[in-house]
Amino acid sequence: MIKLDVFQPTFGLDKEEENVVVPKEELYCSTPLAPSLRWNVLSNNAPKDLTKFHHGTTTLSFVFSEGIVAAVDSRASMGQYIGSGSVKKVIEINKYLLGTMAGGAADCTFWERYLGMRCRLFELKNKERISVAAASKILCNTVYQYKGMGLSMGTMIMGWDKKGPHIYYVDSEGTRLKGQKFSVGSGSTHALGVLDQGYQWNMSVEEACELGRRSIYHATHRDAFSGGYINVYYIGPDGWKFISHEDSGFDKHYQYATEKATQQQQQMSIS
Amino acid sequence: MYNKQHLDPHDDTSAQRPDFMPYQNNGGTVVAMGGEDYCIVAATTRLGLGFAIPTRNVCRYAILNDRVVLATAGMYADTVALHKVVTARVKVYQQQQEKPFGLFSAAQLLSNTLYYRRFFPYYTFNVLGGLDQDGQGFVYGFDAIGSGEKVKVVCNGTAQALIQPILDNQVEKKQQYENKQIEKWSLQEALDLVKDVFTSAGERDIYTGDAVDICTVTKQRGVVVETFPLKKD
Amino acid sequence: MGDSILTYNGGCVLAMAGKNCVAIAADRRFGVQQTTIGTDTTRIFKINDRLMLGLTGLRTDVITLYHRFVQRLNLYRLREEREIKPASFSNMVASTLYSRRFAPYFVEPVVAGLTEKGEPYLCAQDLLGAPLFAQDFVVSGTCAESLYGTSETFWKPDLSPAELFEVTSQSLLAAVDRDCLSGWGAVVHIITLDGIETKFLKARMD
Repeated sequence: MIKLDVFQPTFGLDKEEENVVVPKEELYCSTPLAPSLRWNVLSNNAPKDLTKFHHGTTTLSFVFSEGIVAAVDSRASMGQYIGSGSVKKVIEINKYLLGTMAGGAADCTFWERYLGMRCRLFELKNKERISVAAASKILCNTVYQYKGMGLSMGTMIMGWDKKGPHIYYVDSEGTRLKGQKFSVGSGSTHALGVLDQGYQWNMSVEEACELGRRSIYHATHRDAFSGGYINVYYIGPDGWKFISHEDSGFDKHYQYATEKATQQQQQMSIS
Repeated sequence: MYNKQHLDPHDDTSAQRPDFMPYQNNGGTVVAMGGEDYCIVAATTRLGLGFAIPTRNVCRYAILNDRVVLATAGMYADTVALHKVVTARVKVYQQQQEKPFGLFSAAQLLSNTLYYRRFFPYYTFNVLGGLDQDGQGFVYGFDAIGSGEKVKVVCNGTAQALIQPILDNQVEKKQQYENKQIEKWSLQEALDLVKDVFTSAGERDIYTGDAVDICTVTKQRGVVVETFPLKKD
Repeated sequence: MGDSILTYNGGCVLAMAGKNCVAIAADRRFGVQQTTIGTDTTRIFKINDRLMLGLTGLRTDVITLYHRFVQRLNLYRLREEREIKPASFSNMVASTLYSRRFAPYFVEPVVAGLTEKGEPYLCAQDLLGAPLFAQDFVVSGTCAESLYGTSETFWKPDLSPAELFEVTSQSLLAAVDRDCLSGWGAVVHIITLDGIETKFLKARMD
């Protein structure tokens, strides 16, 4: 057995050794992979501000005829205080894969970055891109190892692979679901109401993006723990594309309000 | 097998006893602000414990190199431990690679360092500020377990709720909808603002006071530290 | 999230003193924990032409208490045949709250007005009626801490009514924009010897 020093990885193997052993891909990583499972002090006497960071969110994504649209808000709350109003809740795993972020911000960013590394390793090893199903399963299995230890993560892994567009919902309890339409977070019920109402399979990309945007806007309006900006992404056959970044609480709200007012005026004048 | 747990020096089951409290809050407030050609990182020097002030003069910042500064509020013992780890890692990197440690790398390093203690976190609230390759100032704010964000201006620590809305209002002009011109702050203006917000926070937050160490990072002069006195009551 | 009954419905009030004028401002949200139900809520009530009362906390208690004050004020007017002074009204609020010492109303009142001489009068109380007087500003509600921060920075002595309006609205808006449970519009009342001027602010609706 060859033992590889974790901090000084050996990439090339001598000829005789080549067929002796294929080292675990984890050992190529230059840093220890994951937090130790040894301690878990948080469950007992941890101060409140340690664990209450970054909850509350509205994220959604759905599949339609031309691909996938993902829309998210940007608020991060610590209790009732708004820790940040400009969080990027769509995590770009690679050119073809996106993840969304709900729950603990650190948990989501860390494990999805880790997922990005695993996906790249898969590519190097297999000379082809990883499927969305496999990517989501890596994440699911990873967080399942930490089940019951207080990780908090509700994410949608989206992408376009050989078999077309896919969305998987993965959370820190170990759930992994495939679906057409998902919304995650405290504002998800509000968002789904709008999304279900306006959803059609045959939509143009613009219509789909606007539907996502509107769903998030309504969720930010009603849900206290969602707000800030609306970020919209589209995933087509050529990978993901960033569509828009707009202020939800002020610009979008008053834009929609004036649109509604003019519409009502027109209806009044017609009748 | 039976005694293995008792012999294992790394066994931390004692930390799970309900009466053992591994954390204490020493308070403190840190602010960072990035500008066109400078970056300001400021940290208060009071060490609070309950209603007492064991000392009025502690160092809550760590100068990682001549363009990156880290400032930490929260538990002081964890602050010292974290600074030790991060400065050591930066030094080792710089000596091995023979090039300076960048701001973005420092942010990622800090994030990972914090997250590796996910299940027994450093009770620290960090801000990281510095200059990028072009000499432009940027800052990052972090939570206790390593979630960070690149921002213009950030405050962390016990007076966060008092100071952050002021910074939003003055620097990002968040509530000034009419003439929303985001002006560029000169170094002197920025310094005055930072001093103002600390003075205000010192009036209402019992963990903020005594003095504030203000590190100014510029390309020409590197890191310069000045101490601005606050009220000592 | 909703760990205290005082934050169940959300909302905040800020009152500031100027030169011969007082401003009292509040947000307009009515929520049930995280869900926003209404965005046209009144939590500042007119007592007379120089006196207003702001109530934050549990909405049902805010309404109940307001009705109790209306009743007690009417009885006061009938008996005394004059308008109540700010200090007397503060005592009325305090004694009403303390009368429920062991089953309190979950509100934090703010009394803002002008005395007979035209001097500002500010009084904030806790839910048991312990009064806190201030020469500069008083706050209450879910974002009290942020309000302290902004007010402490923006306020200065002897503000004119126009300046006071600007300082109050910026302090309030900056603070509620960092609080999940407050916001969704705001209202500012400026009390001068000439009467009360009311302005509604356009604010973030998330």
